[in-house]
Amino acid sequence: MSVEVLKTKAEQGLADQFTAARSGLPGAGNAWAEGLRDAAWETYRSAGLPHRRIEEWKYTDLRALLRDAYPPAPALTEALTRDDISAALGPALAALDCHRLVVVNGQLRLELSDAGGLEGKGELLSLGDALGDPSDWLKQTLAQANPPRNDTVVALNTALMTGGAALRIADNVKLNKPVHIVHMLTSREAASVTTRNVVVVGAGAKVTLLESYVSHGTAPAQRNAVTELVAGDGSRVHHIKFQNENLETAHLTSWMTRLGADVTYDAFQFSLGARLARNQIFVAFAGEGSRSHVSGAVLARGRQHNDTTMVIDHGVPACESREFNKLVLDGSARGIVQCKAIVRKDAQKTDGHQMARALMLSEAAEFDSKPELEIFADDVVCGHGSTSGQVDEEHLFYLRARGIPEPQARALLIAAFIGEAIEKVENESIREAFLNFTGSWLAGEGA
Amino acid sequence: MLEIKNLHVKIADEDTEILKGIDLTLPKGEVHAIMGPNGSGKSTLAYVLAGKPDYEITGGTITWNGEDITGMSPDERAARGIFLAFQYPIEIPGVATMTFLRTSLNAVRKARGEEQLSTPEFMRVVREKADELKVSSDKLKRPLNVGFSGGEKKRQEILQMSLLEPTLCVLDETDSGLDIDALKIVADGVNALRGPERAMLVITHYQRLLNYIVPDKVHVLSNGKIVRTGGKELALELEKSGYAEFGEAAA
Ligand SMILES: Nc1ncnc2c1ncn2[C@@H]1O[C@H](COP(=O)(O)OP(=O)(O)O)[C@@H](O)[C@H]1O
Ligand SMILES: [Mg+2]
Repeated sequence: MSVEVLKTKAEQGLADQFTAARSGLPGAGNAWAEGLRDAAWETYRSAGLPHRRIEEWKYTDLRALLRDAYPPAPALTEALTRDDISAALGPALAALDCHRLVVVNGQLRLELSDAGGLEGKGELLSLGDALGDPSDWLKQTLAQANPPRNDTVVALNTALMTGGAALRIADNVKLNKPVHIVHMLTSREAASVTTRNVVVVGAGAKVTLLESYVSHGTAPAQRNAVTELVAGDGSRVHHIKFQNENLETAHLTSWMTRLGADVTYDAFQFSLGARLARNQIFVAFAGEGSRSHVSGAVLARGRQHNDTTMVIDHGVPACESREFNKLVLDGSARGIVQCKAIVRKDAQKTDGHQMARALMLSEAAEFDSKPELEIFADDVVCGHGSTSGQVDEEHLFYLRARGIPEPQARALLIAAFIGEAIEKVENESIREAFLNFTGSWLAGEGA
Repeated sequence: MLEIKNLHVKIADEDTEILKGIDLTLPKGEVHAIMGPNGSGKSTLAYVLAGKPDYEITGGTITWNGEDITGMSPDERAARGIFLAFQYPIEIPGVATMTFLRTSLNAVRKARGEEQLSTPEFMRVVREKADELKVSSDKLKRPLNVGFSGGEKKRQEILQMSLLEPTLCVLDETDSGLDIDALKIVADGVNALRGPERAMLVITHYQRLLNYIVPDKVHVLSNGKIVRTGGKELALELEKSGYAEFGEAAA
């Protein structure tokens, strides 16, 4: 019929995996779940992995960057202890007072979680289990929160997902402690993991959702993670990602978010790890009077490649969107920020602004920024900006003239630069943890 | 003692010479003023003493306490007690003033072989010096100099100076942009640091400051050279005659 699309070894490997796994994947036998997987599979099969001729992927050519498809990590592996989880998170985040949900090798593991405090606040399901017997809210949300069209990475996730957290926060519930979903991979061999979280925040509810992505061990890994989030009218959601996976990891995450009316959505992503990271954030405004502030901080060195790609879709009037990303790039690291803001015909009184700033610590580092505005309404205020530069020599001289040795002066200025982004994190413990990680990263500078 | 001999300086990537053979001897315990028209090279001299990388020394020597400082980095010079109060103190967004003061003080103390101050001790010392200079605690909570007026920035400079207790103080037009009350506060701060172990080089365009910080000697810098040296009365003379005979018209 059509010409052969799946050309590379990795593309073919994924196809083989799907064929082999299909009948054993969670939800097999359930018509709804199988229908979702098969439709998603078709999207992937007809397009293959995204490559540089696909506009959204021109800086991150997965056909070239992914050589092999690693086998899925086995669900049941050697015993993983709470200490292992703490060690992978680092002391500051391990100590976070939170509702902790632990997802290991693609499955929510309640025996490693601390979810008791969520009882009576809504509903928590293990997605892997729920796919075979889905509740209504899950059926109404999964693959529907804000699905990007023809994104084959998201399609692959739907086809191959093995589990994750499905969490519903009831209307008007205000959670004082953050919900912390810890995503870990433990394997001695190269392995892949495909997880999916579905979060529905009820009207008037308030929640801080932190997702951490960390490694246990140094084995090469491929991660494809999706979080779908629906924020009900009048809710307040802080959505934070911490990514510190090992440097052999290809990290692909997609956040698909739909906001009701009068929602405050503050998202922040902090990336330190992974060899290759693609952070996709899709936000759709579905109710008036909402605001979405998406910020991020990236620290990359060596040969790390970090791509943050956002699509902010204003479909209704009177919403505000801000995207603010800061990157520190050393060695021959490559940082990418792409943000497309769509303002549809009805979305009058939209107020949108995006800014990306990179601090370049070496000649070989590279920064690409691609802002895009697609505006179909006439009464809107939209803007964008992007800068890249080195550590300011005047600032450096001033600090050194006050006795601060050069490496320390530089570290102070780099921390100040990235601190301006990290400041956006409202939760003090999480913010302090991120500042600590920055300090450690800087202490290893040039290593 | 600061000894500058036949100092020639140009901008690093250009050929224009700015300082064209400066000779100056400043013993400890003395305060010398440098006066001169705009563009005569006063700030260049100050920067070169502090070790700013934009300038290149093409001839001559600078020694401080017998040690050649020309090859030293700015922080090494600070460690040896050299302090420049900037003509235009810069704003550094994102660096908290207190973090900066503490890092600076600890770095200098470490270089001098002194103990680091504990947090309460540090807070107390800063509070005390800030009160003397009428710097409000609200200003100390902000990022370094961000949103400060010219006068507030100058007071921050003197606050830093009194914390670091340098032995060679170079003040580059600390008086400019200050009203008379602020000028008195700053002058009091500077005078409090005068002492037998300390040398001061006070750069100014106007005689006014020298009513409050009375110098032992006055040098007139014009077109990259010291063209006259005299006692404090030379400043008054310049106030009357202006810099016309020293090339002010060119500025
Ligand atoms: N970094 C620099 N780049 C270019 N020109 C400079 C620089 N620094 C000083 N100059 C020039 O050198 C001369 C002396 O400047 P400066 O030392 O600032 O004088 P003053 O402080 O006496 O007003 C001026 O002509 C000035 O334009
Ligand atoms: Mg000057």
